[in-house]
Amino acid sequence: MLVYLAYAMSFVLAMMLQYGVFSRWMILSGSPDLVLLLVIALCLHQKQRWFWILILIMGGVVGFVSALPFFLPMIVYMAVYLVSLSLKQRVWQTPLLAMFLLTFSATIVVNFLSIAVLFVQRIPFVFSEALVRVVLPSVFLNMFLAIPVHAIVRELSIWMNPQGAQV
Amino acid sequence: MRNLFTPKNLRNLILIIVIAGVLILAISGYLTPIFSVSVSPLISAQSWISERYLAFSDFFGSPRDMATLQGENFTLRNEVAQLQSEIISLQENLAQADILYTLLDFARNNPEHEYEAATVIGREISPYLQYIIIDKGSNNGLQYGMPVVTQQGLVGRIDAVISDAARVQLITDAGSVVNVRLKTANVEGQVSGSITGEVSLDMVPIDAQMDIGEVILTSGLGGTYPPNIFVGQVLSLQSNQNALFQTGSVQPIVDFSALSAVLVITNFEAVDITPLVP
Repeated sequence: MLVYLAYAMSFVLAMMLQYGVFSRWMILSGSPDLVLLLVIALCLHQKQRWFWILILIMGGVVGFVSALPFFLPMIVYMAVYLVSLSLKQRVWQTPLLAMFLLTFSATIVVNFLSIAVLFVQRIPFVFSEALVRVVLPSVFLNMFLAIPVHAIVRELSIWMNPQGAQV
Repeated sequence: MRNLFTPKNLRNLILIIVIAGVLILAISGYLTPIFSVSVSPLISAQSWISERYLAFSDFFGSPRDMATLQGENFTLRNEVAQLQSEIISLQENLAQADILYTLLDFARNNPEHEYEAATVIGREISPYLQYIIIDKGSNNGLQYGMPVVTQQGLVGRIDAVISDAARVQLITDAGSVVNVRLKTANVEGQVSGSITGEVSLDMVPIDAQMDIGEVILTSGLGGTYPPNIFVGQVLSLQSNQNALFQTGSVQPIVDFSALSAVLVITNFEAVDITPLVP
């Protein structure tokens, strides 16, 4: 229970930092997504059985606060969770590589889903402009922040799940 | 008879006469230039030796004084740091007060509206959407659709409200369309945002005469915003002979990257014309 509480607190902190600080860090028109990075890192380090419920709640909270469609963060976060389960089995010995892989793919997916939403809502935009000025800078910033987020969550995970000597 | 002028006595006599002569010359002041010339190097040498000695003495006598000075230095540094933090705090308060006074001034100059001041506490998570979060909500009388302004001009309108916070859609958002009027040309058009936060002008009649720098105000059409709120200025124009309308880019009057406080117009109810849209 304490683990879930710690994860929830870190999520709240990440939300506050994202809305207060990181949304203002922009390269061209792209900005980092600290909450997504936290979700990815938590998914890669979690060992709890009911963690997916927490992921759904996190997606719901982001969907509620953000102007994005409510379902979009929930879908992305659940997809991240499911992919992380598979990645942990395959590339578990290099969690940082898995973090990079998930960060890159999840950022691309979020961006293209956002573009799809704009398309459905009939909001005019130029795709090449979106790609150059939003998608690529966002990917770069997320990849850049993936390392410290991964390190912090790893420490948090070790602290919350103490283990014996690893072979 | 003893000889008084022996060589010894003669030498003593000459010596006495020379000393007496030097004394007389010295007392009478005739030897002053000679003294000054001869003493000056000695004084210089003495000064050099004295300075070196004092430096030497300070060097070996300093540990006790150094510790005292270090302590004083530490105390003074602490005081300076404390004073600097107080200055920063006061400057922040002053900046906040300036913003509030300016907003108050704007409210006084536009008495036809009622305003609720709010602080910007966040920006939208998605880079494709231009929204801000403010710290006032339905508990303060805010409702969906209320226009949001600053002392400079139009910011946007409220998109979602909870009890103590609200989400504001900026006019730079890709989904935002504002009906505007060009002040000098006296023609109407539309200002719309984009995913990159740039604002463009559209739907201006092809025969309208307007210049760069033309002032853009809200027209009030559509019932979304009250009329005559400053939006920005025309930055550039593109007109094609085959096109139906002129287009252009707009320089918004509000610096959206540095928004810290806004005013919500609380006595304006947006008209929902959605059922009338075919």
